[in-house]
Amino acid sequence: MAGSEEVVRPGGGTSLAERPLEQIRTETPWVTIVWDDPVNLMSYVTHVFVSYFNYPKARAERLMMQVHLEGRAIVSTGSREAMERDVGAMHEYGLWATLDKSDG
Amino acid sequence: MKRFERRSRFLSARLSRYEVELLTSLVRQLVELVSDGEPEGFQPTPAAADPFEQLTKDLQIDPDEPEISDDPVLRRLFPNAYPHDAAASSDFRRFTERGLKTKKVLEAQLVLDRLAATQDGVRRLQIPYEEAEAWLRTLTGVRLAVATRLGITDADSAEQLAELSDDDPRAFMLSVYEWLGFAQETLIEALSD
Repeated sequence: MAGSEEVVRPGGGTSLAERPLEQIRTETPWVTIVWDDPVNLMSYVTHVFVSYFNYPKARAERLMMQVHLEGRAIVSTGSREAMERDVGAMHEYGLWATLDKSDG
Repeated sequence: MKRFERRSRFLSARLSRYEVELLTSLVRQLVELVSDGEPEGFQPTPAAADPFEQLTKDLQIDPDEPEISDDPVLRRLFPNAYPHDAAASSDFRRFTERGLKTKKVLEAQLVLDRLAATQDGVRRLQIPYEEAEAWLRTLTGVRLAVATRLGITDADSAEQLAELSDDDPRAFMLSVYEWLGFAQETLIEALSD
């Protein structure tokens, strides 16, 4: 913008174009995937989704059934950092989970 | 044992002396395995200790050294987080595995303490509501360990085991596995009462 020293930014934060490339890259959506395993009880998997993600029971059961019937389900999405936290939490509960780029 | 019951702030069950001893033994074995025989190394760091010391010790692990355990139980308890990226998996493991192991050891200790309080099954097992998650997670760890030793790797191998004859050497472990499943199932049910 020619001439003006004062720039008004929407939202008060730095605009997208001014953030370093690395930060934009880490905001690409990632997903947490829970994989089926022959050991964990269906009731336990549902319980984990309710306890950790605070999902309503119906949604937790749907996700659990998807894991059970399709072999895997995406249980959360977000930044890579957030997904690493979720995967770590799933491992604390003894579930088998991985993270990946949402388009991976 | 009979099913777990919810009694105000506790989840309660009566275990036989045998069941108390068995579960105690299984949980202790899990602690040994997870802590590589050194459970003292996985206690929470005392306030005076330098938190950076432990962190740098973990980060100094030789990247060429195999980090993934030879033990299939440990491989199942601490799986790779990045299926397509060995380097990222390795970083994730180096940053998180110690914390994960510490938590498992701490929670197992809570379980052992409550089991000990039954005085070999004379008193009912009483789990305070706040410790229920520690019990569920420890039971899961024990079940995963037993299942791995039984060779349960997928639905097919699980099904095959259902047809074991009574004199198969694995029959005992299988009955333990089923009993653990019952305990966990009724604990979850009692929690939602």
